[in-house]
Amino acid sequence: MSIQLYITRLKCLVRNKEAMFWCYLFPILLASCFFFAFNNLWKIEYFDTLPIAYVSEGEESESFEQVLEAAETSEGVKMFDIAYCDEVVAKQLLEKGDIEAYIVGSTKPELYVKGSGLNETIIKSYLDTYRQMSVTVTTILKSNPNAIEEGLIDDVMQHDTYIEAVKDDKKPAELLVYFYALLAFSCIFAANWGLDEVVNIQANLSGRGARVSVSSIPKMKLFLCNILAAFTAHFGSLILLFFYMYFIIKVDFGNNLLYLFAVCMVGSFAGLGMGAFIGVWVKKKAEVKEAILTIATLGGAFLSGMMMPDIKYMVATKFPLLSYINPVNLLTDSMYSLYYYDTYERYYTNTLLLGVIAIIFGILAIVGIRRKNYASI
Amino acid sequence: MVVKVDGLVKRYDKLVALDYLDLQVEEGEIFGLLGPNGSGKTTAINCILSLLKYDKGNIEIFGKPMGPNAYHIKKDIGIIMQNVAVFDELTVYENISYFCSLYIKDREEVKRLTQEAIEFVSLEEFKKFYPKKLSGGLLRRLNIACGIVHKPKLIILDEPTVAVDPQSRNKILEGIKKLNEEGATIIYTSHYMEEVEQICSNIAIIDKGRVIAQGTKDDLKAMISIGEKISMEVFRIEEEALEELRRLPNIYSVEHRENLLEIKSKKGKNNLVSVLEFMQRMNINFGKVITEVPTLNDVFLEITGKELRD
Ligand SMILES: Nc1ncnc2c1ncn2[C@@H]1O[C@H](COP(=O)(O)OP(=O)(O)O)[C@@H](O)[C@H]1O
Ligand SMILES: [Mg+2]
Repeated sequence: MSIQLYITRLKCLVRNKEAMFWCYLFPILLASCFFFAFNNLWKIEYFDTLPIAYVSEGEESESFEQVLEAAETSEGVKMFDIAYCDEVVAKQLLEKGDIEAYIVGSTKPELYVKGSGLNETIIKSYLDTYRQMSVTVTTILKSNPNAIEEGLIDDVMQHDTYIEAVKDDKKPAELLVYFYALLAFSCIFAANWGLDEVVNIQANLSGRGARVSVSSIPKMKLFLCNILAAFTAHFGSLILLFFYMYFIIKVDFGNNLLYLFAVCMVGSFAGLGMGAFIGVWVKKKAEVKEAILTIATLGGAFLSGMMMPDIKYMVATKFPLLSYINPVNLLTDSMYSLYYYDTYERYYTNTLLLGVIAIIFGILAIVGIRRKNYASI
Repeated sequence: MVVKVDGLVKRYDKLVALDYLDLQVEEGEIFGLLGPNGSGKTTAINCILSLLKYDKGNIEIFGKPMGPNAYHIKKDIGIIMQNVAVFDELTVYENISYFCSLYIKDREEVKRLTQEAIEFVSLEEFKKFYPKKLSGGLLRRLNIACGIVHKPKLIILDEPTVAVDPQSRNKILEGIKKLNEEGATIIYTSHYMEEVEQICSNIAIIDKGRVIAQGTKDDLKAMISIGEKISMEVFRIEEEALEELRRLPNIYSVEHRENLLEIKSKKGKNNLVSVLEFMQRMNINFGKVITEVPTLNDVFLEITGKELRD
């Protein structure tokens, strides 16, 4: 490998403004969009008082009513805004969407909700905790009538803990999907660089390719220099995106950052290989190749949940094979398993599959590139 | 012999682009490959360079068989393609230096050669320019610099003056002559006969993938029957007088169109004098008289029956 050729090629790549925009800036813009769109769900400070209705069972319910009224988070935000009514009215309110839920009774309070969102989950968790703690709460109230005002009950109920727990649960399941998919998409985006390298070295694809092909440098040597330059330029974009997500918008990537970088690196090579493969073997106009690449990368990102997280689960259950050959999905899956599991088994499986894909694409591309004269140029 | 092409046949599907093409290029000459658009010049060059597969034939360069892996041959060839092929993201200097480093490892040597090439095409002022900012003529000169920077022994230029202003064109032609004087063998393709006449010492005229005539320009002109072209301004001339004129010895063809009498005569002495005497004898008034020796276009016209330029 010649350092000089590598450096010049790298210069070429980073001076291509359009490629730099799509590779460096675009993912960061997308990450920012996700961040602003989900910012509300992201932080506990943003907890809003939830409107609910309570259907009382008469005197017995009074102390439970008091507990509900007094419930607040440690920041002093009241948890519930309660409307008292009968069950028919409560039902109507719920239907209209004026309240998030209604509760009936006190000894064994029953919860009625319409959806299954974050707020419903918080109310449910509250009631679950109350049911578990009701004996304790009743005992405390009996011995100390001022317990509610003194905040003792809230302490016992530990609202913050489960509000946070509920939100934390939501975070990886729904929100991390977006960021992982984005990072994975950025890895596979290397395909565009792979395609470009092939175009620039194949005599039948460009005048520059013809010129280097008649020179006295062995073609594979030049290709190696160029693909390493492309990898360098592309991996730089991944690092930038990672730092932006990790330090600026504080996405939680777990603790295994080295593993994360490793799978990104494999992903970058898979992308380069895919682009090179399409460049060599799709015998169509440049525009067609680019369109195929865009469909493949964006489609892969879509199927791995970048636009809608549910798609990922649907594909995994209905078309498992597809999720095993979709490089974007293998990448997101590797990242999840780093986050969720304590063992690395699933991470290794995914990374290995991804590596196999990279190698297959790479070998096929090289077979095509080794050919040196053409029927038509 | 620097380049030897024997019986080269190249088909694109059904279309026969090269039809048993033979070429011999001797060391030190400027070899012109002259032919109209679509006659197979570029195809021939790409076959010679082993970029194209061909159906039949033999190609030797520097006396050795040429092939895609013949790096020892390739290192001594410089190629300037028909279409400008440079990197838009690299400056003039960087482009030339990059193409040089494809051939030469030593960095100091690359620097020196790059500088020389820039001076050779007079792009000193534009060293730091990106190709997008260069005019057509300057871009062509950059393209040439990229092809010759490694001091090749054989330089192949495929229509290097297409879409170039006259000033740049002259610079390019002078440059080619200079490269030749410095020792390089040149293959020059063009469909402009003036250029080929101006710089080439040996010329092959090709049409439909075949060499139809080859030799120095004098050889080629000697091949055809026209020796001289006489044009005179004549406003009125009778058909009988034209007939009589045609019957004069040595006259090849006579045509009268739009006040212009065009007489092509065979080789021989005193053709003009006999025509002028005839005019006087017949009492035909005439204005301006121009005589010309035949051009390569006449050669092409006589052999193929069509004009070189369409
Ligand atoms: N890639 C190709 N595929 C099919 N036909 C081609 C191709 N390239 C050139 N031709 C045809 O081959 C003939 C010779 O073309 P070319 O070598 O480009 O001529 P020239 O360089 O003299 O203008 C033309 O008829 C042209 O249409
Ligand atoms: Mg041509």
